[in-house]
Amino acid sequence: MRIEEHPILKFKRGKKIKFKFEGKTMEGYEGETVAAALHANGILVLGESLEKHRPRGFYCAIGNCSSCLMEVDGIPNVKTCVTKLEEGMEVNKQKGKGELK
Amino acid sequence: MNKKANVVIIGGGISGCSTAYNLAKKGVKDIVVVDKSYISSGATGRCGAGVRMQWGTEMNCKLAKQSIEFYENANEILEYNRDVEFKQGGYLLIASTDTEMEQFAKNVKLQNSLDIPSKILSLEEAKEIVPHLNTEGLTGAAYCPKDGFLNPFKTTDAFYQAAKRMGVEFLTHTEVLEIKTNGKKIEKVVTDQGDIITDTVVNAAGGHSKIICDMVGVDLPVYSERHQILVTEPVEPMQDPMVMSFSLNMYCQQTPEGTFIMGRGDDNEPRDLRTTSSWEFMDEMAKTVTSILPPLGELRVIRQWAGLYNMTPDKQPVYGRVKEIDKFFLSVGFSGHGFMFGPLTGIVISEMILGEEPSIDVSMLGIDRFEKGNLILEPSVV
Repeated sequence: MRIEEHPILKFKRGKKIKFKFEGKTMEGYEGETVAAALHANGILVLGESLEKHRPRGFYCAIGNCSSCLMEVDGIPNVKTCVTKLEEGMEVNKQKGKGELK
Repeated sequence: MNKKANVVIIGGGISGCSTAYNLAKKGVKDIVVVDKSYISSGATGRCGAGVRMQWGTEMNCKLAKQSIEFYENANEILEYNRDVEFKQGGYLLIASTDTEMEQFAKNVKLQNSLDIPSKILSLEEAKEIVPHLNTEGLTGAAYCPKDGFLNPFKTTDAFYQAAKRMGVEFLTHTEVLEIKTNGKKIEKVVTDQGDIITDTVVNAAGGHSKIICDMVGVDLPVYSERHQILVTEPVEPMQDPMVMSFSLNMYCQQTPEGTFIMGRGDDNEPRDLRTTSSWEFMDEMAKTVTSILPPLGELRVIRQWAGLYNMTPDKQPVYGRVKEIDKFFLSVGFSGHGFMFGPLTGIVISEMILGEEPSIDVSMLGIDRFEKGNLILEPSVV
């Protein structure tokens, strides 16, 4: 889902870039966040809660709530709502709290 | 509210709750615990949550050892319907000078003589226990596998619940304003919610212990100072022991939940009752911990807070009666270690109140030691 037209805001989209989510190739725009690109691709579940493993999705969108923590290029606990999408990024749902290496 | 009590305990932290529990278990009726805020609102709930047997004085070693042995079975003994989250991952004490290593050697010898299974480790051995430890600039380590972590809120809650089941009354958000005496006898405790008629008072007021002593004219040679702590976001378990350094002034432990709790002291801290947080602490703590445990630099800090250390000149607690007033019992001056001594504090103070044979001789921890100058300084404190 993307807002194509807006009565006030104009969207200047960057160039189209490819990234992977759980091994599947997807497309997003340069300049948008990882979570925005996933949302646009219909991916609403970004992770799961730690104790009861309930689905967690896009929530605060300003890097506060920890609802969008994902594994990006092997690094856990990345706040995908404030991390910009890059060409060739490998994004995965995170299981557990993530390992610090 | 006007009531009568056999014993009034001032302070609803670990010391007060443990004392109430032990008194009730021995059959004492009409025990009232008063706290000006909520249960574990003071130093207990703000502490670093570590428990260790690795001390430098015989008394501290004994108190800590028996307390930890209690904590090993706390859920069962206190019949707690939740979990106190005891994690026995040990304490790894690291030394950065030869003098410090010599102190560790002395401590370990003392600890071993008291059946505490601590030992001196080489840096290679230390790295086997904590693989992400940066050993550069370190000279060695000491380790005891029996040390560990406990959740201070839940541990205090376990004592609180058990005491409550036996009829102890807890008056939270009730501030003691005055203690009325007649000669050497206590007559009543005046609070902002009314009076409690009693002849026996326990001062377990933590950082505020001196204020309570001033009410009855007891000169307590302690002061309070702020100590700060921070906690990070959680990650999967990767560090079993608490890593602690006296010379580098830090401690850092991963909780069972996966967060890292860390703190340090500050010699320039003013002696007052502030529990505010400072950015300087955050800055210095981050620098210290990332030099010793580098991967932790990747973690985000969730929050920071502060609590009060109630410091005595020898950094050992003050237990017992005072000469000025009858039936006024001190359970103060824990110098940052009241939580880990909690179980023994309750036993010791309840025995004193009831005039029972002490299960551990703490007579050397009386307030008269300061007058007499019988101080044995605890060397191992952050």
